[in-house]
Amino acid sequence: MEQNVMLNQEESQLSVEGLKVRFFTSKGIVKAIDNLSFSIRKGESYGLVGESGSGKSVTATSVMDLIPDPPGRIIRGKIFINGYNILNDLDRLVTIRIRKPTDVRIKRRKRLMKRHNYIMSGIRGDRVAMIFQEPFLSLNPVMTIGDQIREAILLHSRVEIANSIIKRETLNEDDVSKIADTLMAQPDNFTRKKLIVRVCSQYAIPELAKLFIDLFENSTDKEFITKELLSLVNTKKTGLSLEELEEARNYFLLMDRKHDLSLRLLEAEKQENEKLAEKLHLQIRAINQQLRSDYLVYSLKRRFLRRFIDKPFVEYATGRTLELLMQVNIAGPERVIDAYPHELSGGMLQRCMIAMAFSSNPQILIADEPTTALDVTTQAQILDLMREVNKTYNTSIFFITHDLAVIAEMCDRVGVIYGGNLVEEASVKEIFYNAKHPYTTGLMNAIPKAERRYEKTARLESIPGSVPNLIDPPTGCRFHPRCKFRMDVCSEKKPKLVEIEKEHKVACFLYSDEVENEIEEEVP
Amino acid sequence: MVEDVIGTDLLDIQGEKSYHPRTEQLLATARSFLSYKASVVGLVITAIYFIFALVDWVYPAILGIPAATFNNMTTYSPFAIGTISGGINNDGIFRPGLAHGFPYLLGGTIFNFPLLLGMIASLRFDIGYSVLVVFTGAAIGSSVGVIAGYLGRWADELLMRLTDIFFSIPFLILIIAFSLAFTSFFNSSLTAMIVALIIVWWPTYARLSRSLALSTKSLNYVEAATAAGSSKTRNIFYHVFPNVLSPIFVQISLDLGSVILIFATLAFLGVAGSQISNYTFPELGQLISSGSSTFQTTFTGVHLGTPVIWWPIIIPGIFLLIFTVSINLFGDGLRDALDPRLRK
Amino acid sequence: MELKYFILRRSLVIIPTLMGLTVITFILLWGLGPELIYRGINSSPKVNIPLSQQALILSQNGFSAAVVNGKLVFTNPIGMYFNFVSDLFRGNWGYIIGQPLTAPTLQAIEFYFPNTIQLAVGATVMALLIAMPLGTYIGARPNSASDQVGRIFSLSGYALPAFWLGLVLIVLFGNNGTAGFGNGTSGNTPVGIIPYLNIFPYFGNGTEFLSTTAPKGFFSSTFGQTLPTHIFLIDSLIAGKLNYFVIALAHMVLPVATVTYGVLAGILRFIRAGMVDASGQEFVKTARAKGVPEGQVIKKHIRKNALLPTVTVLGLLISGLLGGVVTVEIVFNYKGIGWLAVQAALNYQAWGILAITFLFGIILMVTNLIVDVVYAFMDPRIRY
Repeated sequence: MEQNVMLNQEESQLSVEGLKVRFFTSKGIVKAIDNLSFSIRKGESYGLVGESGSGKSVTATSVMDLIPDPPGRIIRGKIFINGYNILNDLDRLVTIRIRKPTDVRIKRRKRLMKRHNYIMSGIRGDRVAMIFQEPFLSLNPVMTIGDQIREAILLHSRVEIANSIIKRETLNEDDVSKIADTLMAQPDNFTRKKLIVRVCSQYAIPELAKLFIDLFENSTDKEFITKELLSLVNTKKTGLSLEELEEARNYFLLMDRKHDLSLRLLEAEKQENEKLAEKLHLQIRAINQQLRSDYLVYSLKRRFLRRFIDKPFVEYATGRTLELLMQVNIAGPERVIDAYPHELSGGMLQRCMIAMAFSSNPQILIADEPTTALDVTTQAQILDLMREVNKTYNTSIFFITHDLAVIAEMCDRVGVIYGGNLVEEASVKEIFYNAKHPYTTGLMNAIPKAERRYEKTARLESIPGSVPNLIDPPTGCRFHPRCKFRMDVCSEKKPKLVEIEKEHKVACFLYSDEVENEIEEEVP
Repeated sequence: MVEDVIGTDLLDIQGEKSYHPRTEQLLATARSFLSYKASVVGLVITAIYFIFALVDWVYPAILGIPAATFNNMTTYSPFAIGTISGGINNDGIFRPGLAHGFPYLLGGTIFNFPLLLGMIASLRFDIGYSVLVVFTGAAIGSSVGVIAGYLGRWADELLMRLTDIFFSIPFLILIIAFSLAFTSFFNSSLTAMIVALIIVWWPTYARLSRSLALSTKSLNYVEAATAAGSSKTRNIFYHVFPNVLSPIFVQISLDLGSVILIFATLAFLGVAGSQISNYTFPELGQLISSGSSTFQTTFTGVHLGTPVIWWPIIIPGIFLLIFTVSINLFGDGLRDALDPRLRK
Repeated sequence: MELKYFILRRSLVIIPTLMGLTVITFILLWGLGPELIYRGINSSPKVNIPLSQQALILSQNGFSAAVVNGKLVFTNPIGMYFNFVSDLFRGNWGYIIGQPLTAPTLQAIEFYFPNTIQLAVGATVMALLIAMPLGTYIGARPNSASDQVGRIFSLSGYALPAFWLGLVLIVLFGNNGTAGFGNGTSGNTPVGIIPYLNIFPYFGNGTEFLSTTAPKGFFSSTFGQTLPTHIFLIDSLIAGKLNYFVIALAHMVLPVATVTYGVLAGILRFIRAGMVDASGQEFVKTARAKGVPEGQVIKKHIRKNALLPTVTVLGLLISGLLGGVVTVEIVFNYKGIGWLAVQAALNYQAWGILAITFLFGIILMVTNLIVDVVYAFMDPRIRY
């Protein structure tokens, strides 16, 4: 069993196990998520559907550990991102007093909180990225689009940027002729264009891409092209001292390594592998020592002269931003980069959000109702874009929506969430044609269908009742008060999510008698 | 949904059962207010001050203050030393303590008046006149503001420009200048000061109620009432005014404290109202001011090793501070309780 | 580009307000009456002459006055208003005669104004320097212990009368001296009740023991050279007299602390509220989701937005600050225009009151304009 789980984690990009989230409000404890488990495979697009108030968005924000605290808190659970459990250190929060069930005080362990924030800031945006429902509200109104995307790039790809800049500065005639060769060898203009953009960004000369493209369109003479390319590249060389650039690269490498080691140290501590922990601890200490001795001057310079020190990096990031904006099909990226969010339309902003999310090639993209606030034609464009990105980068997508049409369009597998519980999980086809859970079938019947329009007797079916109040949820199966097939057992016990067919899981006593064991905990 | 809105509104226009949702709201507000402990404490302390002021006004003898003390503290100072014309003599001013009887509990102040009685007697003027100023200002300001906001266009623009002018001069300077300019007109510097304060105070309320009226005007149910044939006047009185009232009350509670501070400042500066600039007049700012002159005449005394007379400055100030803090706490709590968004 | 038009548009709004200000000043003039106006009509008005002659002199100066029932009264308000406005803008602000000094009003204001600038700017800078980091710290930790302390602090700032705070500071830290900091040195007598800390002079701005005769060239006579600013703190530095600088600094401590307290409390309250409000917004979540470290989230994303509401109320806060400056100047006998205003009011110097009211109006108008421009600069949404 244990081994099975481990295997699962290996092949899955993201897996959530036994997640339990609570919101502590003055009216009571909102039992938002209860024992939720699912996993998303590499390159897969997983959809989570449910009514509003069912806990979809809470799940999405939990995966990034971004639940607003207070009032929310993850009580229990594991969230594996690339096999690393980001909830390793839940003990950083200590529940210190419960007078009434609603009166919970949480003490934060300062040192652990600091470490947690440090570790999470390296994971968020780097391995997992997220786009939100309201693009208007999700971008900082007083910063330009360019600033916000640049910020994301400069946070996570510093080593790559340094490498690219070093590459550019050391670019010589041979390299240029090789590049010209490969570019000449491209079969058509379109692929060449794409390659040029990529090459230019690799060598930190993205602003030359346009000139390169013109050059290749106007000429086929290899010698001429090589000469022109070389002179173009030479104009971009800043004559920065290589030593300084390398120092910067090594500094960032060291920082990245420190982050990586801290991550592993935390995991080792949780597994009580003292030997490994000791070793990692020593390594981190060595890095700190090195940062304090060898890189002291550099880090001080960076702190006080960031604007000048980071200038080549910012220039690079600007070019990369333009490239990203072009990739998400924004016309006139030069204009958009200096625009403020209020100057752009919702669809444009959502594209910018996607560009920002993909700035560091994340393995997982969480999309929390990304199209809900957009009009229908824009919706289709955004969905197309996301699918394209999914294909090119092989990114897993965790898609949250209440719109079944979008699910059908986008997703490979679907989970249906009701009242904070996963009630059914299957492939898209299964969900649409072979739904098992009464709630899922209810949802499916509530979709307006074109072919039924002419049947006079046909009425759109709806599920009676409304989403349960999660402060005081129904006992047993949370759906039972609204369920047509209600049995006595439903109000007494909670059904377990069981695999009844291959790749098809349902939590309902109609299909299986297995009962979910509830864990007694301090927090109800 | 639509039927609901129109339905309740029709009831409202016919004047039937229009009170019960409001009563409910009031109860919710009260409940919410009581959950802010600091604000409840503020309310209690404020109430105590008001009661003292009222008793002082109606029957001061209960507090052991002769009626005439309102105007002149010399009428009650059993151990008085010196007179205004005779100059300040600080050698015999009593220290805080019970050695000279209860009135001297907090010590004596200038001419050895009992400080405690002076402070209590001050409330009559301070609270009484600040209530007068704030309520008059609020009445004028909110009427003008509501009407201008509801009528809109030129009335609104005129009001905004007018208030702009008042806000473009620091209010303290404006009060000083106005009270001086009105003195000959009213033949009384005190009346001039009160009128000046009201003139300076109404624009705040006009602005506040104007913005509230503007937002209320476009609410669905007011539009529905208009559609059902309710007149402009009726709308203003039945729909706009009730909505404007609660924020106005919050502002009033906060401003009562501010006006007392201004009285104190004016008395200290001695610029307005010759009556309250007199050493014998019980007013908190005046008490602090005269305390400061007592203190200043003892500067050399420190050097000689005699104790500093600090209490006539510190104690009235703390007494004033307690009141202003309490009323601010009360006002804050009231605002949070009245605003459903801020309710806990 | 857009910003330029915004500034132009905003500047035009000043015109009606400025006209209103002149009207208010004129109403004041009318209220103060011809007798008080006559007292400062020229450098040495003859008092013991018949009223009809006084009326004649007034009329010659553009104030149509007449004698009715044995009293001087103003007539013809309209014509007088236009005369008065042109006088105001040409700087004919009458005379202050006798107390607190005898000089043309404009010259008296020129003389005292630098001191007020020193105090007001000093307090504003101090308040901003303290409020920015403190407000950020508190606002990032709502409902924590430090937040409660901050709340009490800003509440007391609203509830404290500035003059009382000044007096308390004197009672605690005051020093009746003309020299710089220090105890027992020549000319310094401790007054405050806290031993060793009662070293701060509380009387004036430190120039009291210097020459006080000539309104103009005040400092030039002291340092033997012409100095540009007339601000003691800066002039002493330019002249290279460090001992005078220390004296100036010592005299600034208590007044600046008093004024700062009130302003700081106001700013802190707004920054805190803005921080709490901004940290609840969606874009903060976006910033965290892209991996911005917590400190950067607070400084770069939350604070930038939190400062916007604070800037909008800055005009009101400055109005309060100027009021505070008036009282504090009296408490510390610090001779600025606030002090001048109160002295003028106490001595019924009509021209002094009119001029200072008008001047304060202009100052506040200009600061409001600056505040609006700063706001437009900070919030790109406002420019369109």
